[in-house]
Amino acid sequence: MTHSIYASLGRQHGLMQEMQVVSNNLANSSTTGFKADRAVFAEFIVPRGAGGDSISMGGLAAHSFELTQGGLKTTGGQFDVAVQGEGYFVIQTDRGERLTRAGHFQLNAESELIDSRGNLVMGGGGNAISIPDGSTRIAIAGDGSISADGELIDQLRIVVPDGQLLRDAGTMFTAADGFTDLESPSVLQGALEQSNVSPVLEISRMIAVQRAYEAGQTMLEREDQRLGQLLSAVRET
Amino acid sequence: MKSLQIAATGMAAQQTRVDVISNNIANMSTAAYRPRVAEFADLAYQQVLTPGTITSQTGTVVPSGIQIGTGVRPSTVSMQVTQGSLRQTGAELDIAIDGAGFLEVTLPSGEVAYTRDGKLNRSPEGEVVTSDGFALADGIVIPNDALRISISRDGEVAAYFDDAPEGQPLGTISLVRFVNEKGLEAIGDNMFRETEASGTPNRLVPETEGVGSLRQGFLEDSGVDVVKEISDLIEAQRGYELNSKVITASDEMLAATTRLR
Repeated sequence: MTHSIYASLGRQHGLMQEMQVVSNNLANSSTTGFKADRAVFAEFIVPRGAGGDSISMGGLAAHSFELTQGGLKTTGGQFDVAVQGEGYFVIQTDRGERLTRAGHFQLNAESELIDSRGNLVMGGGGNAISIPDGSTRIAIAGDGSISADGELIDQLRIVVPDGQLLRDAGTMFTAADGFTDLESPSVLQGALEQSNVSPVLEISRMIAVQRAYEAGQTMLEREDQRLGQLLSAVRET
Repeated sequence: MKSLQIAATGMAAQQTRVDVISNNIANMSTAAYRPRVAEFADLAYQQVLTPGTITSQTGTVVPSGIQIGTGVRPSTVSMQVTQGSLRQTGAELDIAIDGAGFLEVTLPSGEVAYTRDGKLNRSPEGEVVTSDGFALADGIVIPNDALRISISRDGEVAAYFDDAPEGQPLGTISLVRFVNEKGLEAIGDNMFRETEASGTPNRLVPETEGVGSLRQGFLEDSGVDVVKEISDLIEAQRGYELNSKVITASDEMLAATTRLR
């Protein structure tokens, strides 16, 4: 008798989580290299007693992220790099190697290329990239090779993951199944990849979530009334 | 209702961005000012269902799992290393640095600071000082009866007197370079201080080893690009509004829940 209430409650719970995904996307609409999240819902079939009946409930089953490229924003920064098309930069963190599309790099006091958290950016041979002290013109070519004053010094390591990517904070991803070097990467110096969140899409999803949530509440209210009427009818007879 | 807090982190981030932009616009006429840019990063993810969780005895695993984000935080507000345009002033103690490098200034406390603001003056004692009256670390003193001062591109300062056609050398203005200029700590009044991140100062003769040259009679303008700042401001404002819409929607969802009883 109360199954409809539970089915609807399950939906409400899922909608709350989806709202969280939408709000995280919107909160990161200005985050360099951010990839929008999508919540994926699936049906769960719940058997109901011996009669062979079953009811289906919806629940959050998985999530995916949109790996489409965000817009490129020209910054002119000499260590701002954007990957065009597929590929990720490799960052050496204290928890292992992470992949990222956020190419806002700078130098540390030892003249090595680091990200905004101070983690080393990996070069072509899986090493830290050292920029010779005192070089005036740093050029990063389309294939990721770095030259200082016309002299080739290293190459940015651009890779593609072998399996699924797992999110990590700080617009980084973990490649659990490892990654391989990309044959012909394409990078752009002096530009950053913006967040690929589409505000229009997110706002319309948010409205849809909100309305669906309200519809669920109405459904719960009606169900409550129906049960109340039933109980009072039973009492009168 | 986490979406309320997530949207709040989004609003706070956009607010930070507006603060940075407004400081840039306020400094659009500050000599040798370098614009700052706020960068953001996403916060840790809540692992609802970890990818790789085994789903059956045959060893099938959850391919992508459920990871729900928890918002955004400012990751850096970094200085853009750009050369502002050079403006001719004609004043003999105005110098612009064309290229990398900083002038070294001794603060009254004895500490050392670095600046690119080349609006120099003469103190009552003849010392070359910044517009705040702090002496250049090069210790150049201009004699009272000097008619004219010349500063060459490589930093040689010479004074000219009415009884001799040749200049009398007074010393050299050196430039200081850092490995990571972005790591300098801004202390206000166009000055910076050395930090762990900037690396140690490297005093060099202008026009050598990657430092710029000095231009007498010029000042470096602010590097702020107003058009870019305004378009960023619009973006930040809209971003703020979008996040506030999430707060409204989450609030209405909560209201719908409380209406139940």
